[in-house]
Amino acid sequence: MQRRDFLKTLSVAAAAGLAGGTAPLFAVESVYESEAKISREKRRFRVVYDFDIQNPEGKGPYPARLWNPMPYKAPWQNVRILRFEGNYDRWNLNDDNPYDVDILYAEWAKSDKAKKLHIEMEIETRYRSVPIEAIETASKRNLPIPAEVRRFLQPTPHIPTDGKIKAKADELTRGVSDRFEKVKRIYDWVTKVTFRDPKVIGCGKGDAGKMIESGYFGGKCTDISSLFVALLRAAGIPAREVFGIRLGLSHYSKALGKADAKGFADITTWQHCRAEYYIPGIGWIPSDPADITKLELVESRKYDDPKVQELKRRYLHSWEMNWVGFNWGRDFILSPKPEQYPINMLGYPYAEVEDEPLDYYIPSAFKYRITSQEIEAK
Amino acid sequence: MRTFWMFVCSIGVLFAGEKIAVIDVSGMTCPLCTVAVKRSLKKTPGVIKAKVKLNTHKATVRFRDDLNTTRLLEAIKKAGYEGKILSVTPADKP
Repeated sequence: MQRRDFLKTLSVAAAAGLAGGTAPLFAVESVYESEAKISREKRRFRVVYDFDIQNPEGKGPYPARLWNPMPYKAPWQNVRILRFEGNYDRWNLNDDNPYDVDILYAEWAKSDKAKKLHIEMEIETRYRSVPIEAIETASKRNLPIPAEVRRFLQPTPHIPTDGKIKAKADELTRGVSDRFEKVKRIYDWVTKVTFRDPKVIGCGKGDAGKMIESGYFGGKCTDISSLFVALLRAAGIPAREVFGIRLGLSHYSKALGKADAKGFADITTWQHCRAEYYIPGIGWIPSDPADITKLELVESRKYDDPKVQELKRRYLHSWEMNWVGFNWGRDFILSPKPEQYPINMLGYPYAEVEDEPLDYYIPSAFKYRITSQEIEAK
Repeated sequence: MRTFWMFVCSIGVLFAGEKIAVIDVSGMTCPLCTVAVKRSLKKTPGVIKAKVKLNTHKATVRFRDDLNTTRLLEAIKKAGYEGKILSVTPADKP
């Protein structure tokens, strides 16, 4: 099945990254951990979800259905322990959707009782990096794009690849034939023109077409990642957003994840979207253009600041793994089929009471809480 | 006198007819968009029930027939979307 093939490809890329060391560091003020040190990290987090799903009408008996995104399995992230319990009437773990998105589904029959679900996971992560030299070498071979990856060249309602997106991709990559060089041109432009707009709700809707049409490049992680992905696809580079959640302290900047002195963090609103692009011969490459803009905003740094430029250099080809990824689904239909579909993305828990989705951007009303306790660092 | 007018108004409400409007709503891109449209419609005086579907981009609204349908379109616009009335028919008795 396609999913297995993806994982094989991902494993190869990750193995190359983990075994291949790191690129030389720039000589910038060392106020953060070096990439060489971070890249040896293996971290473990105990992640707890607590749901107490509320009736949006406020009173009376109500049914409820919940689709919670679960981490995918890869060499850089692994759910070592999974436990869950609750007073649901039905449940399943499924990936019955076009993107093989892993979902824990729970359903409660119509009643007055509280709808509760408690999930515990122990998640192990490893720094993910693919060496630049390996990407360059693979890119120069200009191998054909595998059939199972070609779907990530296709547009979706939120990721158009025609019109102004296509025109901008053509403009940025004019005269360039090497795939990785195209990626770098697009990454440079996206990280330079976009900025984090704190007024945007949640991670943003990720509507790349609307962003380029409006010419307003302020947004959050899904918006910026979607613009990056749309431009790459329009330039013939397979790409996808990867939805997930931050788990704790970043060793680069507290802007990118924090925890208290004991390693505990309330991560209820820490959903974060990253991106990947595909170079045949090496596989999927991690990237995160949106965190460049977050670092700029939170630490009041300019684009040309050495700390921003160093993160930009790293996040062209790596991810710090104080984060876990869920999926890369866009504009798809969940299973069992909800009342409202298709879903734009599944980075947050999604629930419905009858035909009404609960507002996952307001966890206190939904209601859910997510916490993370770092339990081991090597 | 006050009681009399309250009685007259209540009789008026009881005997007002109800209609169902089907409205095409453009601009909805995610499930939460349906919540914004539904809540805005339900806040409109005279709206009895509203159902909004993302896959069809349609809102089905049950309302008192003394409510002008332009109010429904205004409610949708207030939520940030555009509506276009597709049909208005008398509602069956509940």
